[in-house]
Amino acid sequence: MTKATRPAAFRGASKYVLDDELAKIVNVSMALEMPLLLKGEPGTGKTMLAHAIAESMGMPLIVLNVKSSMKLVEALYQYDTLTRLNDSRFGDSKRDVSDIEAYIRMGKIGQAFVSEVRTVLLIDEIDKADTDFQDDMLDVLDQMQFDIIEIDKTITARHRPVIIITSNAKKDLSDPFLGRCNFHHIAFPDPDMMRLILGVHFPKLDEELIGACVKTFYRLRELRGIEKKPATRELINWLRALKSDPDFRPQVLQQGRVPYLGILFKKSADLFQAVQQLGRGQI
Amino acid sequence: MFVDFFYTLRDRGVPVTPTSFLRLHRALSLGLIHSLEDFYTAARAILVKSERYFDSYDQIFAHHFRGAELRDPTAVELTEIARAMLDEWLKDPGEVARALGIDEEKLRGMTPEELIKYFLDRLKEQTEAHHGGNRWIGTRGTSPVGHSGNHPGGMRVGGQSRNKSAVKVALERRYRDYSQDGPLTEHQMAEALKRLRRLTPSGPRDIVNIDKTIAQTMRNAGEIEIVFDRRLTDRLKIILMIDNGGWSMDPYVDIVQTLFHYARAQFKDLKIYFFHNTIYSRVWADPQRYFKPEPVEEFIRRDPETRLILVGDASMAPYELIHGNGAIYVDQKATGASIDRLKFLARTFRHAVWLNPVPQEEWGLTWTIGVVQQVFPMFELTLDGLEKAVLHLLARH
Repeated sequence: MTKATRPAAFRGASKYVLDDELAKIVNVSMALEMPLLLKGEPGTGKTMLAHAIAESMGMPLIVLNVKSSMKLVEALYQYDTLTRLNDSRFGDSKRDVSDIEAYIRMGKIGQAFVSEVRTVLLIDEIDKADTDFQDDMLDVLDQMQFDIIEIDKTITARHRPVIIITSNAKKDLSDPFLGRCNFHHIAFPDPDMMRLILGVHFPKLDEELIGACVKTFYRLRELRGIEKKPATRELINWLRALKSDPDFRPQVLQQGRVPYLGILFKKSADLFQAVQQLGRGQI
Repeated sequence: MFVDFFYTLRDRGVPVTPTSFLRLHRALSLGLIHSLEDFYTAARAILVKSERYFDSYDQIFAHHFRGAELRDPTAVELTEIARAMLDEWLKDPGEVARALGIDEEKLRGMTPEELIKYFLDRLKEQTEAHHGGNRWIGTRGTSPVGHSGNHPGGMRVGGQSRNKSAVKVALERRYRDYSQDGPLTEHQMAEALKRLRRLTPSGPRDIVNIDKTIAQTMRNAGEIEIVFDRRLTDRLKIILMIDNGGWSMDPYVDIVQTLFHYARAQFKDLKIYFFHNTIYSRVWADPQRYFKPEPVEEFIRRDPETRLILVGDASMAPYELIHGNGAIYVDQKATGASIDRLKFLARTFRHAVWLNPVPQEEWGLTWTIGVVQQVFPMFELTLDGLEKAVLHLLARH
């Protein structure tokens, strides 16, 4: 592929702060037409990346939320037998009961394949499904086609979608699966990066407040015995809460008082721990 | 060509496959990589598939490319890689064909010798075709190291620029936390233990069973009757016995606590008991080992399919384990040696493991560990060990 024909490179989107490394990986994956597997702590923006790519490249985004009980065929297409049964029994619909194709609905992967334009296909939380699902799915994504056995028809992708796969697990996926993906692990953003992220979300907020909040936030993440550490999402919500509170002054954070802790700590045991350790002045 | 680099990665235990190596070369030949920095990132994304190996990768990268001259591959190296490709090809022809962008059919008819030659030619051709030079990196700058400028088609976006050479980035070892020998976190435990479940139908009937519905409808001569099934839920029973006494377990309190918290949150049918060093006539349901004793014999009434997980360092004085009156507590009526109790538990529960927080290489130093190991399959309380233990617990015996 020469420079001229290379598709536009991905450069981040309005609500997403992309780091250099990840940008390169996204571009390499798109050029190699390989799925990109993203791992990392919750709240590091794995899912957001797909949204950002879709936005910046002007492609529609199709999201497949993987569930533990999911079978591959559900992601490809669905044969709505119940409706057909119903139609054949009562015959009051406009569909032609003898035409099975009228009862085939495309699943998320199917939609990405038949779409008129190139799409971004986000396969979210792949680790929830079992290994067979993962391997079979990659076969489909590799070959860019699948069969609808009910009507003996092969669906071939019109455009190879940009595939982003996310996994929360620290555990490895199967080897054949990994062999077919590019891989990146998104680390939790460091305080400087976090400031940039917040800057994107709250363009009008003043630097001092953001600085104080980020500082407190990272100290809170270091409290001991916390099961679910607050992540970016919690921080953004927390800032939103602080912003809407007219009585809030950034100075109280320096005094070690943290309002709205409940937004940051979602488990009662964690909240209790945090309150206790704050009370002892340990942050 | 980086054949050395590839083999160093392999030698150091980073699982890189020839297929992914070829893919990296495709990325190189597509003109996607313009600097060592790009190479660092792209090679990691393509070759390394788990953040656990990122740290090793960083170290090897830094070692390999610090001041290193990138030179042409020697003939021997080319043959080596061609051979590795052949192996891969025999395993999965389609995959290699796709990675190389060649026609699978075309290669089907070739003999192994022909294939090797074909791969060799391919590799040489790529070496030469690549912007005519003898360097694989750098379409414009030729210095392989320290070329950290961004190329014009830049992908620079918001965020800070990392104005460091790739080697420096690698030397930072940002991924040390994720390396395999790191301590076990709750999250990792969750992932390892998640597989430990057995799904059985229970709860309300709210899943439509299409096959039965159709069959039933046929039987009713077309009068629709929808058949519902129960959904699947986890019904696995687990008994966790934790050694929580004595100074010998002190160094491992944190890790065992993590396991304990996680297990309590995750498993619906979980019973936790405590013991000190080893098991005599009873275990306790309370951590103080005082209020709620439970005679060991009683466990025979439990479902034998229950998974028994013992956590302890299995380190004690030999007589505690072997001697009939070994109990170190006066109030424990000694009725037989502790080792017999352990054997009793192992007989009662076919699926049992012992998790030991002591690093495996030290097991040989403690005599009692060896003895307990003969009774229960013992695994290290690390991510790897935990995964092995889970596999063992799920296996049919």
